[in-house]
Amino acid sequence: MNNFTTLLAKETKALFTSPIAYVLIAVFLLLMGYTFTAYLFISRTATLVQSVFQASMILLLIVPVITMRLFAEERRNGTLELLLTSPVREIEVVLAKYLASMAVIAVMLALTLAYPITLQIFGSPDWGPVYSGYLGLILLAGALVAIGLAISALTANQIVAATVSLGIFLLMWMLDSLGSLLPDPYDIFVVNLSLTAHFTPFATGALYLSDLGFFAILIMLGLLFSVRALARR
Amino acid sequence: MPSVIVADQLTKHYGNRVAVDSVSFEVGKGEVLGLLGPNGSGKSTILRMLTGYLHPTSGRARIAGFDVTEQGLEARRRIGYVPEDVPLYPGMRVDEFLEFMGRLKGLDGRALGDAVARVCDQLSLERVRNLGIGKLSRGYRQRVAIAQALLNSPDLLILDEPTNGLDPRQIIEVRELIRALASLHTILVTSHILSEIERVATRVAILLDGQLLTIQALDNGGRERILARIRGGSADRIAATLVAVAGVRNVSSAKDAGEASYDFTVEIDDPSVAERVAADIVGAGFGLLSMARTRTDLEDLFLELTGKARQ
Repeated sequence: MNNFTTLLAKETKALFTSPIAYVLIAVFLLLMGYTFTAYLFISRTATLVQSVFQASMILLLIVPVITMRLFAEERRNGTLELLLTSPVREIEVVLAKYLASMAVIAVMLALTLAYPITLQIFGSPDWGPVYSGYLGLILLAGALVAIGLAISALTANQIVAATVSLGIFLLMWMLDSLGSLLPDPYDIFVVNLSLTAHFTPFATGALYLSDLGFFAILIMLGLLFSVRALARR
Repeated sequence: MPSVIVADQLTKHYGNRVAVDSVSFEVGKGEVLGLLGPNGSGKSTILRMLTGYLHPTSGRARIAGFDVTEQGLEARRRIGYVPEDVPLYPGMRVDEFLEFMGRLKGLDGRALGDAVARVCDQLSLERVRNLGIGKLSRGYRQRVAIAQALLNSPDLLILDEPTNGLDPRQIIEVRELIRALASLHTILVTSHILSEIERVATRVAILLDGQLLTIQALDNGGRERILARIRGGSADRIAATLVAVAGVRNVSSAKDAGEASYDFTVEIDDPSVAERVAADIVGAGFGLLSMARTRTDLEDLFLELTGKARQ
């Protein structure tokens, strides 16, 4: 086993042996289940679009809880010193924490596959928006976790990490409506930085390379800043 | 003797504050260097730069020939480090933690199992190896931290305040452990307690306010000294009696203390020799007016240097 897989195993085990992951998954599924059922009975339409939007909003609130402890806790306990004075690279530590957090999200989303399966059994849903919706949720979660990880790497206080992450996520979500208030050409520039503008096409079944690129860049910047934050000692 | 540590003009600034100021020293293979200084003198910062946790503002350091900044991975492979306050993962079991740290140090398979068994045996951790780290006492936590540092048999063992927070029995155990490890590893140990350094190190580096004041060789054969006031004979006869006591290494020239008594500073191997000195002086018919432990050379040196530097 190389350093990366050793670190990934440790991080995944730490997340799944703590109650945090299970509480978050339970809360996520409870809220999603309510939305899915309520919308299905009201609209009587075999679609997941509303549920995908609902999932994206819940992710904005849940991801800071997952990422706040990743580095902040290690920094506060001093174990970061133990880790970084071992023969490991910063990028290995960052990627292990990132992928372990994404595993929690993956479990959450995998459990919601019951909804499209239910729709398929009792109706005939359009699978295009379902596929693109899940891809969008994974990309959105990937970007949020990367940003949350970078913020956690900058502080030893978990509450600070969570609050700052949540603030940034909400701001990036609201940039869509805030940007449209600005004069031309600033409005387009600001709106294009918003999570909503790039997530909505995925939720409604449209795939654009620019949206894929936007989330890919956010993920890379988040991971890069995390590595830089660790390396700047 | 090849150098395991070469620190060259190591400097660390935190904003405007200079934590370590142009510190240079070398540590040869098999040496035990003690970094001695009051809290905040820069000891831990030096260790953190040597282990690659902090990057020097300027200056360089090499561990076993590898630059700690440019060849950090190679340098860190040759270091076993026990940070101050022994940070561990409280949610892991002892064996699980040691296996995790062993893997990070490049061990795997049978070599990993053997290394974990070896350090558990070396640090007497067999009884607790299946317990959660969060349930261990401070003494055991210290042992686990030292055990992880020894997993890959490093060239250099770095211990930051290893006796901090331990009870007297545990302090003696850690001290004996360091002495035992000194035959296998080069050791860099810090303490703000002078007697701790004096008991384990072969050389001492004295730090104050981030500056290295001096590096001195220590004679570990024992530096206990007693001051005795004796009467009832000539200074030469008393001195001859003192020198004849087993365990006395040196006797200073007599100082006249008035009323036909003399003060002698007697260097002894260990504190138990003081009893024999008292018995032999009285047995020889002299009067022993007073006897007290006095400061060692290192204490004198430390006070003199830190006093001068502060002036």
